[in-house]
Amino acid sequence: MSDILDMRDVVGGYGEADILLGVTLRAAPSEIVVIVGPNGAGKSTAMKAIFGLLHVRGGTIRVDGADITGLEPNRIVEAGVCYVPQVNNVFREMTVHENLEMGAFLRSGDLSAAYDRVYALFPDLKERRKALAGNLSGGQRQMVAMGRALMLEPKLLLLDEPTAGLSPKYMEQIFRICRDVRDTGVTILLVEQHAKQALAFADRGYVLASGVNRHEGTGAELLADEDVAAMFLGG
Amino acid sequence: MDAMELINFYLVPGIVVGSIYALGAVGITLVFAILRYAHLAHGDLATFGAFLALGVVTLGGVSPYVALPVAMAVTAAVAVGIDRTFYAYLRERPKIVTVMASLGVALMVRAVVQIVWGVDSQTYTRGIVRPENWFGIRIRDREIVTVLAMIALVVALQLFLKYSKWGKAMRAMSDNPDLALLSGVDNRKVVLLTWTIVGGLCAAAGVFLGLNYELKALMGWTMLLPMFAAAILGGVGRVEGAVLGGLIVGIAEEMSALFLPTEYKAATAFAILLLMLLVRPTGLLKGKVL
Repeated sequence: MSDILDMRDVVGGYGEADILLGVTLRAAPSEIVVIVGPNGAGKSTAMKAIFGLLHVRGGTIRVDGADITGLEPNRIVEAGVCYVPQVNNVFREMTVHENLEMGAFLRSGDLSAAYDRVYALFPDLKERRKALAGNLSGGQRQMVAMGRALMLEPKLLLLDEPTAGLSPKYMEQIFRICRDVRDTGVTILLVEQHAKQALAFADRGYVLASGVNRHEGTGAELLADEDVAAMFLGG
Repeated sequence: MDAMELINFYLVPGIVVGSIYALGAVGITLVFAILRYAHLAHGDLATFGAFLALGVVTLGGVSPYVALPVAMAVTAAVAVGIDRTFYAYLRERPKIVTVMASLGVALMVRAVVQIVWGVDSQTYTRGIVRPENWFGIRIRDREIVTVLAMIALVVALQLFLKYSKWGKAMRAMSDNPDLALLSGVDNRKVVLLTWTIVGGLCAAAGVFLGLNYELKALMGWTMLLPMFAAAILGGVGRVEGAVLGGLIVGIAEEMSALFLPTEYKAATAFAILLLMLLVRPTGLLKGKVL
């Protein structure tokens, strides 16, 4: 089967200066791929490049065979990519259910199957569907954000540091949910600060540094790599 | 002074003028919430709507209540046109630029009103309407219509925002614009919709002001401060807050005549605005912090 994500030699940045100097990322169907690396390596920037939030000056980005390089974010959503930002990723003044509804804004017709699917993944949310998202805990809010993105039934889900600021208990839970989501046939690409835990749970990983690929391999391979360990895992 | 006198001469007029302020304040709060600037042309747009209704009344020989929906529809179209012509180009600039532009638009709209309808005071209907007596409370029909129309329009707006797809999109845009865009909401459609609603409400405020008092070229401009005071008092971005704020400002203005010379009526709104910004800038119903 062909790759869901095929990003080759991408160069780009927000303004004049390039932050990405040639990043290549691939993700196969139903795979969890994690991007790790030191601060300023361009991890989140690489993710934003996929979602069209960046000036891409070189390279190509394909999703399930279709070229999405340089498209507007709403066109990229239509191509089957959903993005969960690191912060401000829920509608705080809207209920949990309305948040999910906004996620499906571009869809028409019967959404009950999509709601059932998301509530099955996040039973906590079903109980609190009438609660305002802004009143939930950080971990539950992250679930709302992921649930919102999953309402469109994307092929590729981009998660920008989904465990930032969460307790270890919630971190485990988010990782477990990521596996459940993957098992429903969604490819997940995530950026993580908690490199060790993330590499241990992901199928494959990329190590970025200074805007270029440094290492790639399965999680176990990268964890065993001395260079990777010395770089930032801190033993 | 007995209780009936207090109700008839202070509370009833306060609720009526408060309902008019509420209609304007709801529009101001929607512009604040979705477009994120203070719209200073709001008062003069209301004046425009009021005179437009006068035009329909004189040309068509119909009652002002028939002219109201016409004025609302045309003013909504004008508001959309103003946004397309002036504000759309300033969207990416700092918001203060648009605020200043809206002051310019206010002067332009007022000039149009003065050229077309003149500078003299006018009324929709001639003669004096005597109030009906309801168990000692004296209310004119137009006062009842003003309050009921405000309630009907606000309830309709709330239902639209709560249950319709595009109403939810407006709330989403107000709540988290970046995430709304990521969810595929078309910003331009939300802006168009917002101006349609705001223009219509604005005209309603103007028509009811003209109906209960008189039509003057400066009628809307003098209403601007109380409308802003009402929106901020209620909590910016809160429709129900704007209604509450409008009623409080209206009643407070009328009641102030008990203690202060009536010339100071207008200062009441200013005092409420200052006090609120000092004590509780998020408003009574916890709106956005500007």
